[in-house]
Amino acid sequence: MKTVSETAAGARVAGPGAGFDAGPVIEPVQESVADIALLLEGTYPYVRGGVSSWVHQIITALPEIRFAVVFIGSEPSMYGPAQYQFPGNVTHVETHYLLRQDRHIKPHARKGNRRAFAQMDSLHTHLREGGEIPSNEMMDAFTRLGSPDGITQEDFLYSKASWEYITQQYRQRCTEPSFVDYFWAVRAMHAPLFVLANIAAGLPPVRAVHAISTGYAGLLGAMIRLRRAIPFVLTEHGIYTKERKIDLAQATWLHDHNDDVCNTLHDEMGYIRGLWIRFYEQIGRMAYGQASPIVSLYEGNRQRQIADGAAAERTRVITNGINLERYRTALERRPETVPPILGLVGRVVPIKDIKTFIRALRILVNRRPDIQGWIVGPEDEDPLYVTECKELATSLGLNENVKFLGFQNVLDILPQLGLMVLTSISEALPLVVLEAFASGLPCLATDVGSCRELIEGRGGEDSALGSAGSVVSIADPEVTAEAALALLNDATRWHDAQRAGLARVARYYDDKLMFSSYRSLYMEALGSGSSGPSGSSGSSEFPRSPGSSSRGCDAAAHRVLGAGA
Amino acid sequence: MLPLIGFWGLGLDMAGIGFEIRKILERDSYWSVIRAYGYAGMVSGGPWVLSILSIMMIGVLDVTLGVEQREVNAFQICVTYLMAASLIWTGGAQLMFTRFVADRTYADDKAEVLPNLFGVLIVVMGGGFAWAAPFIFWFFEGPFVQQLLLLCNFVVLSGMWIGLIFLSGMKAYRRIVWTLAKGYLLGIGVGLAAAEWKLNGLLLGVLTGHSYLLFSFLHHIVREYPGSALLKFDFLDRNRSFYSLFLVGTLYYLAVWVDKLIFWFIPYTSEAVIGPLRASIIYDLPIFLAYLFILPGMAVFLVTMEADFAEQHERFYRAVREGDTLMHIEHRRDRMVYAARQGIYEIFKVQGLTVVLCLLWGRDLLHAVGISPLYIHLFYIDVVAVSVQVLLMAILNVLFYLDARREVLIITACFFITNLLFTFATLQLGAEAFGYGFAVSVTVSAFLGLFILSRKFNRLEYETFMLQN
Repeated sequence: MKTVSETAAGARVAGPGAGFDAGPVIEPVQESVADIALLLEGTYPYVRGGVSSWVHQIITALPEIRFAVVFIGSEPSMYGPAQYQFPGNVTHVETHYLLRQDRHIKPHARKGNRRAFAQMDSLHTHLREGGEIPSNEMMDAFTRLGSPDGITQEDFLYSKASWEYITQQYRQRCTEPSFVDYFWAVRAMHAPLFVLANIAAGLPPVRAVHAISTGYAGLLGAMIRLRRAIPFVLTEHGIYTKERKIDLAQATWLHDHNDDVCNTLHDEMGYIRGLWIRFYEQIGRMAYGQASPIVSLYEGNRQRQIADGAAAERTRVITNGINLERYRTALERRPETVPPILGLVGRVVPIKDIKTFIRALRILVNRRPDIQGWIVGPEDEDPLYVTECKELATSLGLNENVKFLGFQNVLDILPQLGLMVLTSISEALPLVVLEAFASGLPCLATDVGSCRELIEGRGGEDSALGSAGSVVSIADPEVTAEAALALLNDATRWHDAQRAGLARVARYYDDKLMFSSYRSLYMEALGSGSSGPSGSSGSSEFPRSPGSSSRGCDAAAHRVLGAGA
Repeated sequence: MLPLIGFWGLGLDMAGIGFEIRKILERDSYWSVIRAYGYAGMVSGGPWVLSILSIMMIGVLDVTLGVEQREVNAFQICVTYLMAASLIWTGGAQLMFTRFVADRTYADDKAEVLPNLFGVLIVVMGGGFAWAAPFIFWFFEGPFVQQLLLLCNFVVLSGMWIGLIFLSGMKAYRRIVWTLAKGYLLGIGVGLAAAEWKLNGLLLGVLTGHSYLLFSFLHHIVREYPGSALLKFDFLDRNRSFYSLFLVGTLYYLAVWVDKLIFWFIPYTSEAVIGPLRASIIYDLPIFLAYLFILPGMAVFLVTMEADFAEQHERFYRAVREGDTLMHIEHRRDRMVYAARQGIYEIFKVQGLTVVLCLLWGRDLLHAVGISPLYIHLFYIDVVAVSVQVLLMAILNVLFYLDARREVLIITACFFITNLLFTFATLQLGAEAFGYGFAVSVTVSAFLGLFILSRKFNRLEYETFMLQN
């Protein structure tokens, strides 16, 4: 396959949906440092995890594309050394921290630009009303951010005009008593925006950007798109806004001042908590507004994106996949009989709800004393929770039946299991389910994320393959135990589930499919890129409507998903 | 003999004397009000009144014992110069170190304080020795013993100021006044006993008194403060100390003394007394007398500033830190401004009354003390000037509370420069204008201070929230 850059300049852009082979060759507009700049918030390459591994695989599997890696973290102290070694096609790397001030600026009184703040007011009003924000207004706002005749970071932090704006907003809107909390929330929310504006300005020329989440990475993508009119692709694994809402709901540093005297029927969320949630929702919207296509992992998430403001015609689903070859050995090492061993492979953290698993095991062991439950995963993230789980197991008398194995090579564990169990209260597209299917293991999962789609199919041909296990409601040990028993005691049903899982994963979740989907997605994006007259970065040309090229792509995507039928 | 007003007030700030005064005032009777002001007067005025009175006492007693008036005069001039030199030399260190100690205490780092105190003492006393010794031995023609006594007095005094200001920060004010009384009594006693050695005897008396004070203070300090090491010089670290405060302290004392110094060294207005030391007969007496009349203003200053303003100030910052609404924060700021304004008015009223009384009875007073009535005009203007100086101190005090170091530096620099310039100007204008140099300079500085303070208050929330590091 010829690389994009090797093929001679002057070749015309091929049509959309060009298929799997390298087809379209794009005439480079400028000396670009990379084809795709990946915008990564808190993941690759400094944090090990599902998303980081996915990014690494994509880069490795598409060597003909030059990638730039732009990492955005909170503070340098939170991250260790890089956990992944960059493949050869990573041509540019940047690391930025949103909470660290790069220069130690001494606070100096300054007047600030009142007019710029007044303009900011109208943008804030739009954001508050929650509607679609016109691109030109956003662009103006982002141009103002950081520029000397707009609002610089020093202006925001230290100027009198900034102070007057903040206090005016507080007086008019804040229902929360504590001014110092409001003040610091406003600072914490906006200070990273200046850092992002700097990143967007300083990024060397690339041909497209790809953000791997909404949040600050997505906002950065939107900023770059507005400044440079280059394509902006968005992929979401989890839904950032939803995760932030969960975080904020559990945050102890936010005080909800509920008045004990006047009882209201509903829990009044603190104003500042509301501010943060709205903030994340709005920057999510900004990213959706500028991105095309908007990719999610499964249909449920796609619907959620649409509900959160993504234009439906620009969304698509590209599921994750796994390397089937790798798990063939596990499949071959499977014994004849079904081992009465349930496995939960995952980090020992509250979101995985290990405790429900342990309680379900108590019920199971009552019925079949030979049943065992193995908890396989790293225990260093939440030591308190680990202790609680182990104490729960002991108090239920399950010391013989429940084993905490820590981090293990999953290939060794899979053949020994009889059932893969997921009791998580929140998931996206858990790879362990695919791994289980590929090694011939049925799966029992809670009805979160895409688990139902994985186990029962997405309808049509997919569902016709059969059920690869069982889906239960969350936090219900009884139902979980019943479903597990039903599978372990019924050999026919178990083998049917095994067959369904193997077929499903081979047809729809082979990672080769994922790689080719992304290849064609990138080709399309680079093909529809700015080959217009003013291709220089920083131009204020309106972004071209992205709707037209995506329809053809949808067809291609559907062909991918339906391949093999 | 000139008083030693200065950062005594600042040390008292640290001490929380306001708390004590407030406790007295809580009883809410006329008697408690009198008690409060009396207490404040004693604490604020005690030290320097004691020192002035004791110097005078030595003089009076010695004359009755037959020592020549000339020797007593020479002694009084020496002590004046010693005070001036040691204050100017240590003023910067006093202020800077006081702030250093306050920061360490706030950061719960009390073990750092004692070794640094010893460090300061070494720097101040050793440094003082280093420049004073050659100066004294070069310029004084008297006997070696005399030179030695002068040198020792200077070094001990320098150390004593540091000890005094430190001790004031330990809320030990009753102890201070009591120790001072004992020390000066001792000094008087020794001075009397050594009367036959004339000037040297008197100097020895003062040295004994001040040495007793220094060691007594240190004794108390070492007992109260745990120390981890013996000697540390952390206070010299630029990151932990504010050199701007050093500048402020030095400039302030220079400003207070510069007009006297000018009058002492212009041949036309002065005469040589002993060695290089000169005095100005026409200038010194009236202002010495005038300084005694700031006691009422000082008492009021202490009560209103430390009791009222300090409380409002504390409430303001608590409102900021602990999550009050902005409206309430502004309300607290207004209360603080009100307290500051009231304090300044009170001082103005009380000192104004004092000035009026001095104007009324000035002639009789001078007559009673044996000073020629020719000095009366200089006395009047001096009383006005020192009254305004109390106002200036109050304004600076408020600015210190607000940690407005840059603003304080501007005001003290203005004070110094205007005093220098205007005093020279009055020398050109003739004897009618004497004293007006100091008076106008302190008034100009006070007005500047008011303007700056007002501006600072207007921007207080903005600066508190936005301009912090």
